[in-house]
Amino acid sequence: MAALLRGLRAGRVLRGLSSVIAAPTTTNPQLSSLRRGFRCAALRLQDESKSDKSTSFSSSSSSSSSTTTHHEHYQANSAEHNSEAASQHDFDPSAAEGTKISDQEQDTEYETEEQLHARILAAALEFVPQHGWSMEAIAAGAESLDLSSASTGMFTNGAGDLVLHFIAQCNANLTEILAEQHNQVQQGQVEPKKTAEFLKDAVETRLRMYIPYIETWPQAMSILLLPHNIPDSLKHLSTMVDDIWYYAGDRSTDMNWYTKRAALTGIFNTTELVMLQDSSPDFQDTWSFLDNRVQDVVNMATTAKQVQATGEAVVQGLMGAAVTLKNLTGLNQRR
Amino acid sequence: MQRAAHVASCSWPQIVKPAMIRHSLKCRAPLQHSSRAYSVVPPPRDDDERDAVHRMLRVDHAGEYGANRIYAGQMAVLGRSRTGPLIQMWDQEKKHLAKFNEILAENRVRPTALLPFWNIAGFVLGASSALLGKEGAMACTVAVEESISEHYNSQIRALMENDPERYFELLQVIKEFRDDEMDHHDTGLEHEAESAPGYWLLKNVIQLGCKAAIYASQRV
Repeated sequence: MAALLRGLRAGRVLRGLSSVIAAPTTTNPQLSSLRRGFRCAALRLQDESKSDKSTSFSSSSSSSSSTTTHHEHYQANSAEHNSEAASQHDFDPSAAEGTKISDQEQDTEYETEEQLHARILAAALEFVPQHGWSMEAIAAGAESLDLSSASTGMFTNGAGDLVLHFIAQCNANLTEILAEQHNQVQQGQVEPKKTAEFLKDAVETRLRMYIPYIETWPQAMSILLLPHNIPDSLKHLSTMVDDIWYYAGDRSTDMNWYTKRAALTGIFNTTELVMLQDSSPDFQDTWSFLDNRVQDVVNMATTAKQVQATGEAVVQGLMGAAVTLKNLTGLNQRR
Repeated sequence: MQRAAHVASCSWPQIVKPAMIRHSLKCRAPLQHSSRAYSVVPPPRDDDERDAVHRMLRVDHAGEYGANRIYAGQMAVLGRSRTGPLIQMWDQEKKHLAKFNEILAENRVRPTALLPFWNIAGFVLGASSALLGKEGAMACTVAVEESISEHYNSQIRALMENDPERYFELLQVIKEFRDDEMDHHDTGLEHEAESAPGYWLLKNVIQLGCKAAIYASQRV
């Protein structure tokens, strides 16, 4: 009897789920996390004891998980047609698009492999402080999503995949933050920062993303230095440095393009190493080291300009002296 | 109605974020060129297209930079004597380089790492050809401009084969520059380039060097 009720509830949940799944191209983040939540709930309906866990996996927002349980609860207590009306009522108006049940019944797994990769790796990040950057963390992440830990087999690069995914995520976050600041400056809400300050803030923001994993970061760095990971890690590093300079306002198209990026790469790498050894409160020593390095680079750039200007002045002086000599000796006169 | 809305949205470049610009460009009208939110190069649809277009822009930029340095070398030697035609050509090359600088900066294209080489090599080539006299300088101009025109023509062919409508502005820019380079070539011929000493040898050696430079700049 209890099993029959559970089966009925499961059926209603599935139909209710499919009724609120909107068109696949929606980019409403709440809705997509809802969809992920629902899909996972669908996967787990075999094991009723695990349905409580559906509220706790990391990839869905807490709001979606609470609405999942709320939804399931509601389903159990009402008839089918009421549940559909209620499910439309429960969620945003934007979700109410999914009014047709019939053609949504077939929608179950349409997540791509890359999305699944990303989900497992995102979940695995939580277990890094515990297991380090390793296959165990990935396996623990997969299990927290209630997928079999054998799914780690699809990560042929092992821990490298996890570290590279984390780096890519940090870079994406940084780009988002910089773009947002850029927009604010363009709209005149904020004053534009000077180059040195901009670079310092950008590198600090980026390095702060490592703070939750700082204990295990040396391991991650050594993984990035493995020969088969070097091309990818260099690519991530170079795109990050290019992004920072672009938003700092660099539009150079000569050798400065290379020297600036090389300088910033040096600053970033050395500051990262200092951060690993830093034990001061809130990494104050690291930020002051960063400040000094950025100042050094700015000073070097100024010095280079001065040297060039001096050189040009010297050359002009020499040319002037030569012409004077020619005039004095009469070589300049046409005969 | 929808198109008008998209045209309107395309004309607020400062407020509309780049991603939104790309979305609105997906339903752009082919004839309303002014409604596009970019100026010359369309936003790439995928990495391959981006790499191909960036490579093209990189080598064009390197070419114009080299041409500028060649004229600078020629002017350094012959500047005080036959200034007329040379100055005019160099000014046009400066404009070309400025345009490519603008395009590179706008599209975040990496300039070629061989720029210092082209700097020195171009200047040396210009100066040494000018030391052979006015005809030598003109012969060098003829050879270089012929190489550059050929190169631009092959790029125009490639873009036309691919999607002439999508690259309309870029094609216009390259066509205009190619026409200018052909003018320089003709000017060089007019000013007795062919009577330079060892014209055939000079021309072929310089053209070989240009081909090597183009090959290298596309890859580095």
